[in-house]
Amino acid sequence: MKSLAAVAILSVGAALAVPAHADPLKIGIIESLSGAQTSTGRLFAAGVQYGVKDINAKGGFNGEPVEVVEYDNAGGSTGAADKFKQAVADGVNIVVQGASSAIAGQITEDVRKHNLRNPGKEIIFINVGAEAMALTGEKCHFYHFRYTTTAPMRVNALVKAMKAAGDLGTRVYSLNQNYSWGQDMQAAIEAAAPMGGYKVVGEVLHDVNKIQDFSPFVAKIKEANPDTVITGNWSNDLLLLMKATGDAGLKVRFGTAFLDQPGNIANAGETALGHYIANNYDNAAGDAAFAEDYKKVMGHYPLFVEPQTVFAMKSLQLALAKLDFHGGAIDTTKIALALEDTTYDSPVGPISVRKADHQTIRPVVVSKVVKDPKYPADGTDLGFAPVSVVPGAEAIYPVQSSCEMKRPS
Amino acid sequence: MSPPVSPSVRTPLLLALVLALLIGLPPFLDLGLQNALVNVLIAGLFALAFNLLVGQAGLLSFGHAAYFGIGAFATLHLMRAVEDGLAFPTPLLPLAGAAAGLAVGAVAGFFATLRSGVYFALVTLAIAELFHSLAPHWEGLFGGEAGLSSMRMPWGGLIFGSTLEVYYLALGWVTLSVWLLWAYTRTPFGRLTLALRDNEQRVRFLGYDAHATKVIVFAISAMFSGVAGALQAISNETANYSLFSAHVSAGVVLNTFVGGSTVFFGPALGAAAFTLFDHLVSDLTRSWQLYQGLIFVLVMLFAPGGIGGIVQHHLRHRRQLDWSRLAGPYALAGLGGALVAAGMVFMIESLSVLFGEGYAVLRRDAGGGHPPFEAFGAQWDPAGPLTWGLPLALFLAGLFLIARARRDIAALWESVRSAPAGRPAGRGPEASARSAPSGSPS
Repeated sequence: MKSLAAVAILSVGAALAVPAHADPLKIGIIESLSGAQTSTGRLFAAGVQYGVKDINAKGGFNGEPVEVVEYDNAGGSTGAADKFKQAVADGVNIVVQGASSAIAGQITEDVRKHNLRNPGKEIIFINVGAEAMALTGEKCHFYHFRYTTTAPMRVNALVKAMKAAGDLGTRVYSLNQNYSWGQDMQAAIEAAAPMGGYKVVGEVLHDVNKIQDFSPFVAKIKEANPDTVITGNWSNDLLLLMKATGDAGLKVRFGTAFLDQPGNIANAGETALGHYIANNYDNAAGDAAFAEDYKKVMGHYPLFVEPQTVFAMKSLQLALAKLDFHGGAIDTTKIALALEDTTYDSPVGPISVRKADHQTIRPVVVSKVVKDPKYPADGTDLGFAPVSVVPGAEAIYPVQSSCEMKRPS
Repeated sequence: MSPPVSPSVRTPLLLALVLALLIGLPPFLDLGLQNALVNVLIAGLFALAFNLLVGQAGLLSFGHAAYFGIGAFATLHLMRAVEDGLAFPTPLLPLAGAAAGLAVGAVAGFFATLRSGVYFALVTLAIAELFHSLAPHWEGLFGGEAGLSSMRMPWGGLIFGSTLEVYYLALGWVTLSVWLLWAYTRTPFGRLTLALRDNEQRVRFLGYDAHATKVIVFAISAMFSGVAGALQAISNETANYSLFSAHVSAGVVLNTFVGGSTVFFGPALGAAAFTLFDHLVSDLTRSWQLYQGLIFVLVMLFAPGGIGGIVQHHLRHRRQLDWSRLAGPYALAGLGGALVAAGMVFMIESLSVLFGEGYAVLRRDAGGGHPPFEAFGAQWDPAGPLTWGLPLALFLAGLFLIARARRDIAALWESVRSAPAGRPAGRGPEASARSAPSGSPS
């Protein structure tokens, strides 16, 4: 709709024959804007819009406002490949995407090939949500930047904080989805065992978003008698799992990664009380100025994946401030180099890029579901209260040996 | 389908013209459209291959994504081998897709065609689902949920880096495949395929092995689907398990029926229409899939023969039709359709603005009231009579025009039908009524 209006305005503008002007920086969001994952895709797009609004309020870049184009990948990697080609045709300089590692895998490969074939016209991929290790492992390349956490960062922070709070126990059950993200989580849970002083008493990898009844899994968990279940499950797989646990009357604490997905708390209700989450940000953990400003501009407090997307845009804003192309052609390689040297002080701590694999070194916030928090979730009286903020230097893991990054000469 | 009544000189001429356009036009188009045309070619070939089964053999498969996907993965494996130094000409890569499609299609077809009707459809659906759930876990063959990726290697002085090169590669393969599919319908075996659809029992009594015949038809259809998948793999340079999803299977069914499964080129028309529709509309509005669904429902309700059916019906009667008298009512119906569409689009888009998050911010800023919203370059009051009256008026005016035009069109077609020369030589009266255009009563 907005874009329809934008097209109309653009065509009027073209008819008035605008005099020659500088190259605007173009950001293309390739997200799931229709279909099952729309709600998450929308949040990524909203985060970018908020970030770019501020860049443009401060004069834009290269003498022009930064342009944002939204592309609907229809929730699949084929759609994403297609929209990436459209983005290239539209002259996009930076691609932003977050929902789904499979789609990010497609886009990062497309960007790599495009950059190989079109030297001088490189495109940067800012990954704001895809957490598969491979993206900074065997698929890593110079023009990909990951502005979110990964499984080991979340698990390490979760284990540390839960242990310090005395809520971890010594028996941990790992239940995850059977694809790269879930496998990464399981590997991270195994790896963190010595540090957390626990024993992994059971491991399950199950189908992704296909299971309607988790009671057989709950029975298995019961048998293993764990103190804590750590899971990377998201969407229905998390919700139904928690509900099944509640129904079975099983007293177990959950350590999660995506409990803050909108709707989860409202759906789970009291069952969610006392469960943990490790995430990029929590409103109550940061300074309130960001949350309030976001609400002023966007109509709600920053949710779920919005903050990390905003922080990526803030980092980009700082990097752009170091550059000046004097209204001429935009050199994305220079932007990428500037991004590498940018540290953004987010409300929860500094975020910087690790040059070896372009994973961001960033704080991880661990919070717990409580009653009457500062920022209630989903219109309930429940919400998250931060337990600890693990600084970036502690949360980060060594560079994967599979990453062989070729830097621009 | 049945071959045209009188394969006049005009059909090859028309086809040559289309081919000349497909060859000559793309260099002058922008990159986005070039890419959209590659997708049109791929979707067109896939729909034609699918229609060999549904339109000609009368077997409705709900799992053709399986053979499309297999073709894509096989091609990617070959591409990776080429990347590692295997000497294989890049333009011949789709052969891998064809071979894999044929092989898997023969096996799957053997089981699926043991049953017919709904059970056949269910078996094909199950086979596609099998691949869909197997692929993300079979790291070696399908590359996990991230899939496989590769890069087109230069060959014989061609880099295969640009979209245009990919386009011509696809055009070559699609032209060859479509010609083969067309030639197939002219062979005795092609006739046997039609007989299978019309009366399987009779085919058996004539001494043919119906099951073996169906397996062969299934495998051929899968082979050409594999070529389409191969072209997609070459174009995207990756493939992952989502190629096996029910979405892909449903897409080809949609394209085929909107295009018209009773006409040879119908499915390709449907594929072209929907692919271009996606290209043009999917970034303009979030409701594009709703519009796509509406189009499908409307076509099925009012023109079950699809776009191809309408075109064929007109071509068949082009000499008996009084075009000068038809032009007026057709223009009126077109105008009516445009008005109905405008009214619908206005209402849907207004609703999506009103329920969107942007409007929630506006409302909050306005202190909970209902501030005017912006759409189509103007401001609208959500409670204003004009905001809802205008689309409703457009919608009703459009319906009125269509109803009027429909009466005139029906009368004109009635005169054609009652003329003795106008008897179509299709599949009997039922087929001709089924492929009647939207304006005529059927």
